[in-house]
Amino acid sequence: MRPRAVTGAGPKLSNSRFGEPMVAATARSRKTAQMRRLLIQAVIIIALVAIVWSTYTTAQTNLNALGITGGYAFLERATGWSYSFSLIPRSVDDTYLRTLTIGFINTLFLGTLCIVLSTIIGFAVGSIRDTSNLALQTIASVYVQLFRNLPLILQLVFWYAVFIHLPGPRQAYALGEIVLFSNRGLMLPALNISGQTALILLLGSIALGVIVLFARITAMRALFVWASATVLAIAVSLLMFVPEGEPIASVPTLKGLRFQGGMQMTIELVAMIVAIVLYSSAYIAEVVRGGLAEVPRGLIEAGQALGLSGRTIWSRIKLPMALRSIIPPLGNQWIFVMKATTIGVAIGFSDLFMIVSTSLTQTGQTLELIAILMGAFLLINFALAQFVNVINRRMQLKSH
Amino acid sequence: MLKTLAKLTVAALAASVPVMVSAAEPAPTTQKIIDRGTLLCTGHNGSFFGFVEVNDRNEWKGLDIDMCRGLATAILGDSDKVQIVPLSWAQRFPALQSGDVDLIIKATTWTMGRDTELGLQFSIPYFLGAAQFMAHAELGVTEAAELDGGTICVEAGTTIERIAGDFLSSNNIEHTMVSYEKGAELRAAYLAKRCDAFAGWGPNLAVIRATEVDDSGAHVILSDQLSTDPISAAMRQGDEEFVDLVNYLIAALIKAEELGITSENVNEIAANPPSTTVARLLGSDPGMGERLGLRDTWAREVIAEIGNFGQMYDRNLGKDSPYNLPRGLNALWKDGGVLYTPIID
Amino acid sequence: MEATRRRAFATPADTVISVIVFGLLFYILWLVIDWAFVRAVWSADAVDQCKVDSIGACWSVIDARHRLILFGLYPFEEHWRSTAACASIIATVVLSCMPAFWSSRRLITLWIVGFAAYYLLMEGSLIGLPQVTTDQWGGLSLTLFLFSSVVLLGMPMGLGLALMRRSNMPVVRLTATLIIDFVRSLPLLTTLFTAAVILPILLPEWLQGDKIWRVILAFALFFACYQAEVFRGGFQAIPKGQWEAGKALGLGQWTTLFDIILPQVFRHALPATINMVVLTFKETAIVIIIGFFEMLASAGAAFGTGEWVPYYLEVYVFVGLIYWVFIFSLGQYGEYLKNRMKVDHR
Repeated sequence: MRPRAVTGAGPKLSNSRFGEPMVAATARSRKTAQMRRLLIQAVIIIALVAIVWSTYTTAQTNLNALGITGGYAFLERATGWSYSFSLIPRSVDDTYLRTLTIGFINTLFLGTLCIVLSTIIGFAVGSIRDTSNLALQTIASVYVQLFRNLPLILQLVFWYAVFIHLPGPRQAYALGEIVLFSNRGLMLPALNISGQTALILLLGSIALGVIVLFARITAMRALFVWASATVLAIAVSLLMFVPEGEPIASVPTLKGLRFQGGMQMTIELVAMIVAIVLYSSAYIAEVVRGGLAEVPRGLIEAGQALGLSGRTIWSRIKLPMALRSIIPPLGNQWIFVMKATTIGVAIGFSDLFMIVSTSLTQTGQTLELIAILMGAFLLINFALAQFVNVINRRMQLKSH
Repeated sequence: MLKTLAKLTVAALAASVPVMVSAAEPAPTTQKIIDRGTLLCTGHNGSFFGFVEVNDRNEWKGLDIDMCRGLATAILGDSDKVQIVPLSWAQRFPALQSGDVDLIIKATTWTMGRDTELGLQFSIPYFLGAAQFMAHAELGVTEAAELDGGTICVEAGTTIERIAGDFLSSNNIEHTMVSYEKGAELRAAYLAKRCDAFAGWGPNLAVIRATEVDDSGAHVILSDQLSTDPISAAMRQGDEEFVDLVNYLIAALIKAEELGITSENVNEIAANPPSTTVARLLGSDPGMGERLGLRDTWAREVIAEIGNFGQMYDRNLGKDSPYNLPRGLNALWKDGGVLYTPIID
Repeated sequence: MEATRRRAFATPADTVISVIVFGLLFYILWLVIDWAFVRAVWSADAVDQCKVDSIGACWSVIDARHRLILFGLYPFEEHWRSTAACASIIATVVLSCMPAFWSSRRLITLWIVGFAAYYLLMEGSLIGLPQVTTDQWGGLSLTLFLFSSVVLLGMPMGLGLALMRRSNMPVVRLTATLIIDFVRSLPLLTTLFTAAVILPILLPEWLQGDKIWRVILAFALFFACYQAEVFRGGFQAIPKGQWEAGKALGLGQWTTLFDIILPQVFRHALPATINMVVLTFKETAIVIIIGFFEMLASAGAAFGTGEWVPYYLEVYVFVGLIYWVFIFSLGQYGEYLKNRMKVDHR
């Protein structure tokens, strides 16, 4: 861990200069140094090319020996298997392309939902930890220390084990006969539109949100534009897509072996959300607390001297100041949440990783499928990082 | 000079007709196993009762494990020289491709897709079982059509996953399918009533019903037979001799039962073979081993170690096991089953 | 006492909140104590009592199966070796938290000795004990093995990547940046899965090695890529003048780096490094998915059979407690160091 022993660990970096300014030296020694630098870089490039080439040929021979034909033709074939959760209609006759797309949508859907929920809860818990009331502080600390210090996957299998031992659908816990919770999942009343329409609405709303964020208008106006447009879009789609003579909203009811109507969140999805949100919100709470603690006391005292109310000080001074140091680590946590969805495979939630892993056994197209998986995550993370950058920039702009 | 040339020519000829000379040489996979000194065989991530399970002493046992031990005896002469690699269903084929295991002996169904697209080769089947549904008795269902609207649990990456999906959709039975990577999770989910029914492989369902549940009347195995799955060992393509070896190991185990050779009497019979077939099989007459690149006495050692197929069945699944599964289709052809062997001549 | 009163009961509103919240907390605490202690069954022989409805926790399952949870499939007679090996890793971690060990040579020696002791004890054949191959390692001892080897391998790798990233040779810098950004964008599970399942197809046979070592190397790479960023932060905190001071003293580049710069980098990076170490310990649980028999997997096996099936809650609580104690205490230690260093700066 300390300097000496690591000398042996990095032979390939001999003579890099770690970015400190070059010493004034004789022209000759500078020239030798220059040559050496070129040589090292050339060797690295050659080594990289050699590695890529040799893995490529090894893969070719290995796959040929196994009689596997590569390529993406399998994407057009029907899968013949099913899985637990999808937002859009699915059947066993779907192609691999459609099935993988569904996995991608599931990952995005779960990730987005968890990001929103854990950010809200995280801000709440973090702010509570920052209050002066000892009791509130204690309960918030217990929350953070409990959920942050256990492996996420342990929490996931724990909640899943608890949830599947809930009563069955016929004895479901009911809240006013419209919200039902059983070992099959959480059943909520919902607008009477198809999952596909709902998904398009959701995506449209997210896209609009991003556009509004980029636009050079104040945050309040942006929020107003976004909220009103979203409500309008929902109203229009209700008018257009609700079948004749059916109510606008539907309520889950038990029919035979399962519930019909309403929105049904399978118990796997519920367990994923609960586990990820608890874990991640505890992290975010720490980030928020750290951010709030860094706001200089003088600023708050200045606010008090001006006779501002506690709420105004919080929303106009503390939070905006704190947000600037909160946003970068918060962005990292969002990316973590997206990546954390992959553990769905442990409880049978059909996220992208699980779909890829099953496809892999059923088709044997190992390299192609893992490339798709990696590509998808690079895409998600890149997009999310850009999004965080935009928010960050807006925060910085406002302060100037 | 001429001599060298002649030698080279002979060598080249020999190299160009490997089929003719390779019989005495061990197959590449066999050679690898001999060099390594252990056989890498498939286990399960948890227990797949009767076939692959972990006992209280943390040791592996089961029908498939016995097959692995038999193969290790045949190749290495020691049934302990087998390393069981725990794998989920979904990981078994990638693990075979990557060389983490030498072969798959893990209740694996012989399918065309696997044979052609996955680059596998299958041995002759050593077991036959049907995919079926097991449901909670309190639902009052007796056939699959009544599962309409229900939730079906299944293990991910298995043939059952596809067979059940196919069956349900072709019969227009609406359903939600939940698939799990681990058998233990599937069992836990089913017993917790997360699912109405459990799509599985008949013998395994019967075993679970017999053991996991206090009251075996609480579960019904539905009458529909979704498929008949021939269970084989799966190997990498391109090593025919290794496939031969596994085939004749299975054949020897079945043949031994047919001929009444058991682990108790094998040495007596070998000393005093009643027929030439028996003499050849047990290595009393030479020739059997060489053709597979093994010792002549390999079959005798295997039978002495793990018994014949009937003994293996009784010990792991049948009357000497807690599951007490009847032989059914998995009896010898002469007892009304489907097990038969090639002629061992 | 006075401080507590002021913080909990300052205003009437505060008092109401405090009473309600503390009341709730104590109620929950009581429920837990009642379940875990008052109404609990403790011994494996008394498992029949667990079926009574009014009974609380059934710790019989732990009594009967704790060896499986702690040591996995390790041969029963050799469990003392697993115990000793776990103790050596825990001692290593505890000792490296003590300032007395905070010199490069001592820390390195400590970790290598601790790790070697673990390996020799567990494997056995090198010191004349019966050999136990890695496929039989499991439970807590496997978790600790994964954790310590990832940290031990990942730390120099991370430093290497950090130095590469600071190089003034564009190719070196670019390579490091590419590796770091790529690995950090992928979920850990994807990286490990690739190492376990995909890599053998890409590598010639002599390079493949054992599955567990492939996974450990991939995990170490993951650790290194995050740790490289931690080190980078440490490097940025060192004023440029330090390099020039080294030069003025006539020291070579490498001497300046190792004797002057790096010790300071480590000091700056220490709290963040501890965070990474804690995170790594937590994330080891994920290898359950790629088929290793670590603590979480053996916990699943502990209530997987026969009479123990209903007592999953007790097993998860037991395992959770082990993880929690380890992670919480390391985390608190990191906090303490951070605060101490803040004080140092003032």
